[in-house]
Amino acid sequence: MQPTTNNQDKLQDLKPEALDPQVSEAGREEVLRIQDMNVTYVNRNKKVKAVRHASLTIYKGDSMGLIGESGSGKSTLAMALLGLLPKKSTLIDGEAIFMGDKNLLTLSNKELNQLRWTEIAVVFQKAMNSLSPVHRISTVFEDIYLAHKPGTSKQDIRKISLALLDLVNLPERVYTLYPHELSGGMLQRVAIAMSLLFSPQLLIFDEATTALDVVTQGQILKEIQNMEEKLSTTRIMITHDMSVVAASCNKMAVLYAGEILEFGYVSQLMKTPYHPYTQALLASFPALHGEKKQLESIPGFLPDLSSDLSARCVFAPRCKNAGPRCHKEKPYLKPSPCGCGEVACFMYDGGVE
Amino acid sequence: MSRFVLRRLISGFLTVLTVFVINFMIIQAAPGDPVKTIMGKETDDPQLRMALEAKFGLDKPWPERLWNQFSAAMQGDLGTSIIYNRPVGDMIKERVLPTVLLGLTSAILALVIGTALGIFCARREGSFLDGLFSTVSYTLDAMPSFWLGLMLIILFCSQLRWLPAQGMVNVRAGYEGWDKVIDVLIHMILPTLTLTLISMPGYFRIAKSSIQQVTSEDFILTLRAAGIDDGKIFRKYIFKNAILPTITMFGITLAFLITGVTLVEIVFSWPGMGRLTMTAINQLDYPTLMGVYLIMSISVAVMMVVVDIVYALFDPRIRYN
Repeated sequence: MQPTTNNQDKLQDLKPEALDPQVSEAGREEVLRIQDMNVTYVNRNKKVKAVRHASLTIYKGDSMGLIGESGSGKSTLAMALLGLLPKKSTLIDGEAIFMGDKNLLTLSNKELNQLRWTEIAVVFQKAMNSLSPVHRISTVFEDIYLAHKPGTSKQDIRKISLALLDLVNLPERVYTLYPHELSGGMLQRVAIAMSLLFSPQLLIFDEATTALDVVTQGQILKEIQNMEEKLSTTRIMITHDMSVVAASCNKMAVLYAGEILEFGYVSQLMKTPYHPYTQALLASFPALHGEKKQLESIPGFLPDLSSDLSARCVFAPRCKNAGPRCHKEKPYLKPSPCGCGEVACFMYDGGVE
Repeated sequence: MSRFVLRRLISGFLTVLTVFVINFMIIQAAPGDPVKTIMGKETDDPQLRMALEAKFGLDKPWPERLWNQFSAAMQGDLGTSIIYNRPVGDMIKERVLPTVLLGLTSAILALVIGTALGIFCARREGSFLDGLFSTVSYTLDAMPSFWLGLMLIILFCSQLRWLPAQGMVNVRAGYEGWDKVIDVLIHMILPTLTLTLISMPGYFRIAKSSIQQVTSEDFILTLRAAGIDDGKIFRKYIFKNAILPTITMFGITLAFLITGVTLVEIVFSWPGMGRLTMTAINQLDYPTLMGVYLIMSISVAVMMVVVDIVYALFDPRIRYN
C-alpha cells in the first residue's frame, strides 16, 4: 500500500459501510461520549487551555481519526481520557462517559486502573520506547496480564500473547526477546499486540505510526484493519497525517487550537470538507493522480492558548472566508449542510457578516 | 561469557604490564637520588655509595633492572624498601586491610544512603525535603575532604572530646580481642564519616537524575496506562533501569579503593595505602612506589572485569561475545 496516495484512491480501500454516510447511528452502542470537555494546564502564572468544549461521540466499531497540527490538543485529549495527566498541574472538566455509565474524568486512580487495558488500551507515539530496555517482552506482557487477572499461569499468558503476536505478523521468538533485539516496525507491532491483551472496547492510537517509514506504516495500518474485523474493536486514531486517517478510519474530527472544528465521515469530508480549516488542510496535501495543483500552505500560526479565545472563532485570523462576526462571536458545532456531520463555522450558520 | 572473561583477563594483564614499564620509566626519569637520601646530605663516601647501589641493584643498566624487578614481581617479590629496609610486600600487606576497611565501609555507606536519598527526592521533587537534601548534597560536593575532616576533628575531638582524632587503634591501651575491634570501630567513625559525606553527593545526584529521567520515559507511561500499580512500576521497572549508572559509579569506586584516600588518611593519621604512597614519593623509595603502583594497577584491572560482568547481568543490551 502507498500511504501517500490520492484521497480519492483511499476511499476504495474503505469498508463499504464507512462509505455510506447515511448509515444510521440509531441503535448503535455508544462507547465513548465526550461532552463539553476542557483541559487546562496550570502553572504559577499561566493557564493554557489546551482543549476547550470538546464534544464527540464514538460508537461501537467506529474508527475515529482525530486530526490536527502539532499543539492542537490531540494528545492532551487522549491523555486526559486515560487519566494520565499530572493531577497537580491540570484542570479537567466536562464529561467523558465510557460505555454508558462511567465518567472517565471523575474516576479515582484505582477505578481507572481497573478500566485501563481491560477496557481502554493505548499505543503511544514512540512505540520504540514503549518497552523497558532491560526487561524481556514476555515480562511486560506477564506483568500487565497479572495486574488485571492475578493468578493466571505463565503458560496461559504465553499462549494468549503468542496468538496476538501472530495477529500482528510477528514470529513466536519475539516473545522472549529484549526490545533492542527488534526493529522499530517490530516494536510497533509488539506495542499493538500488547494493547490487545484483553480485547479492549476502545483502542487509542496516539501517533502510533508516525515514527515509521511509509512502507511499514502502510503494512501496520492494513494489519490494524484486518485485526479490527476479527476483534470488532473501536478505535481513536490520533494523527497529523491525513493519509493515515484516509487509510484507516471511517470518521474523523478536525482539531484546531484545542477545539473540534469539524466532524464527520472520512468518505464525505475528504470529498467535501465544510470548514475552511479542513479545506485548507486538504489543500496542503498532495494528490498522486489527477492534475497537479499548487500545494497551499495556511498563512499565520496557532493562537496563544493562554489568551482569551472564548469570544471568537479560533481559526478566524488565518481564515480567508472570515468576516466581522467571526472575530466577535464563537461558532459552535452545528449539523453540517449534508446532515452527516457537524461543523463549527458561521458560513453554515447564518453567515459571517 | 567465559571467553569474554578470559579475553578481558589477558588484556588486563597486558595493561598491568604496560603500567609497570611506564612506572619504571617515570621513576627513572624523576629527579633525585635515593642513595643520597639513605646516606644523608653530608656523607659522600664513594665506597658506601657503591655498596648501597649494589645492594639495591642500582649499579646495573636500566633494562636489566626492569627485567629483574619484573621477574621478581611475577614471583611475588616486590623488592625491599630503600627507606625502611623491609620487604615491600609486607609493608603493603599491613596497609591494605586498614585501607579496604575504611574505603569499603564508607563506599557502601555512601552508596546506600546517597542512593536512598536520591530516590526519595526524585519521587518528591519540589518538596521541602527535596530542597533540603539537594542543598546539603551540593554543599558537601563542594567541600574539600581534608577540610571537612579537620572540622570534624575540631568539633568531635577538640571541643566535645567524644572521639579519638588519630590512628586506627589506641596504641597506649594495647587492647586485645573484642576490645580491639571496638577500639578500631571508634577510631573509624570520623574518617568514615568524612569519606561518606564527601562521596554521598555523587550517588545522590546520579540516583535522583536517573530516576527522574527513567520516570519520564515512554515505557513508564505505557505501564501506567496499562493499569499496573505505581509501586510495582517503580520497584520493578524504574528501579532496574535507573540503577545502571549507580552500578558503574560504584564499580569505579571499588576499582580505586585499594589506592586509598591520601588526604583523609593524612588528616586522621590512618595507616593506609594512601599515606604509604605519599611517604614513598617524598622519600624517593622506588621499590615501594613500584610495588604500590603494581598492586593498584592489578586491582583496577581486576575490578573493571568484575564491573563489566556485573553490568552485563543487569543490562541485557550489553552482551559479551
